[in-house]
Amino acid sequence: MNVPDDLYYSTEHEWVRVEDGLFRVGITDYAQDALGDVVFVQVPEVGAELQAGGSFGEVESTKSVSELYAPVQGVVVEVNADLEATPELVNTDPYGAGWVVLLQPVDLRSVETLLGPEAYRDLTGA
Amino acid sequence: MRHSPLDAVHRSLGARMVPFGGWEMPVAYPSGTLEEHRACRSAAVVFDVSHLGTVRVAGAGATDALQRTLTNDLGKVAPGRAQYTHLLDPDDASVVDDIIVWWLAEDLFDVMPNASNTDGVVGALGAGGGGGPEVRDTTGERAVLAVQGPEARARLAAVAPDAAAVGRFRVASFEFAGLPCTVAGTGYTGEDGVECAVPVAVAEEFWRAVTAEGVVPAGLGARDTLRLEAGLPLHGHELGPGITTLNAGLGWVVGWDKGPFRGRDALAAQRDAGVTPVLRGFRAEGRRPPRDGATVRRGGAAVGTVSSGNFSPTLGCGIALAFVDPSVAEGDAVVIDVRGTELPATCVPTPFV
Repeated sequence: MNVPDDLYYSTEHEWVRVEDGLFRVGITDYAQDALGDVVFVQVPEVGAELQAGGSFGEVESTKSVSELYAPVQGVVVEVNADLEATPELVNTDPYGAGWVVLLQPVDLRSVETLLGPEAYRDLTGA
Repeated sequence: MRHSPLDAVHRSLGARMVPFGGWEMPVAYPSGTLEEHRACRSAAVVFDVSHLGTVRVAGAGATDALQRTLTNDLGKVAPGRAQYTHLLDPDDASVVDDIIVWWLAEDLFDVMPNASNTDGVVGALGAGGGGGPEVRDTTGERAVLAVQGPEARARLAAVAPDAAAVGRFRVASFEFAGLPCTVAGTGYTGEDGVECAVPVAVAEEFWRAVTAEGVVPAGLGARDTLRLEAGLPLHGHELGPGITTLNAGLGWVVGWDKGPFRGRDALAAQRDAGVTPVLRGFRAEGRRPPRDGATVRRGGAAVGTVSSGNFSPTLGCGIALAFVDPSVAEGDAVVIDVRGTELPATCVPTPFV
């Protein structure tokens, strides 16, 4: 499984990329592989306030539904509109075109509560 | 957990394995469920369905034993034919199992139950006691490969021409690698195709020969989305405790005129009293899959519950089978409650595609 070195990870298998004070969030390669073919992603509204660990959406595959959990506290400033028509981007490019939301974090340092790539590799046996 | 004779092949292909009915079977290969589904609709796929049971019923009295145990009427067919049938609970006519019977020859049958129901079917068919036909679980002696799709027969013809030539719902024998095998013109995808039972010793060779002809391996994930699009029931969802053949809309598998069979009295009582709920198809707006257990509402009132739901790769939207009040008719607008979100849907005929 691909675990890029420049990202932070949650134990619920989301990744966070720090971009100019904002956090881009998606699900990991490990998570998309476990889910199988993704057919629907429910994303929050722009402006939604997410609590760390709170559910903010769902990813549905041909075999199951899985909740999305906010890795940190923040406000949604953008959602990936491409997922409405092409949710399979979560499978084909989980760390790129398959991103889910862009957050304005309440605290930039909240990423330090997350796992680094080494710890996430240990978690997933990757 | 039991393993298919093809277990090592699946693992070498990188399949994701899941428990199913007491077996560990492939749910998808690395290409994924959607691609496997499309391959079945457009070309040809092969499923390992060795987890289906095979119960050999042989000898004098075999035909009578099936006639009084299962719902369908063998008098409508003949040796060399396959027939879909049900085993009912004797007291309330719940569908204990749905079964394909391969009628191989006079008083010689391979009865094919669902994996987890095999012991129950052996017990029911052997219930006549001494002097009846031999009833034996032969599941462990063979692999069963379902080759399905519009190109299934053409591709299979290069491997086993006699198998590829079997008619729809016909059963025949063929030879592969010098060993006798059985084929039936049956499947569970809504496409043309066949199911081949081959001895364990040559199962892997048969699989490799079939896939070498460009037939794509497909797993249980695609099998489920394909059967759902075809409107076919899955035991544990559309059939099972508290659900009769008539609830599931499968009255054509009941041989009312053949004489007594297990569960007939309870089923006749339900038929005479009126059948409710009934199974209907629903097409949702948008891609979100309805899921089993979701409540169906019409005009704000609950009218039923989804038994199976998923994304339809062919239609590009959610589809569902649901047990609903008999007043729900084709064209009715409903909503399906997906964990608090109301998904608009329409009652439609099945098959969906």
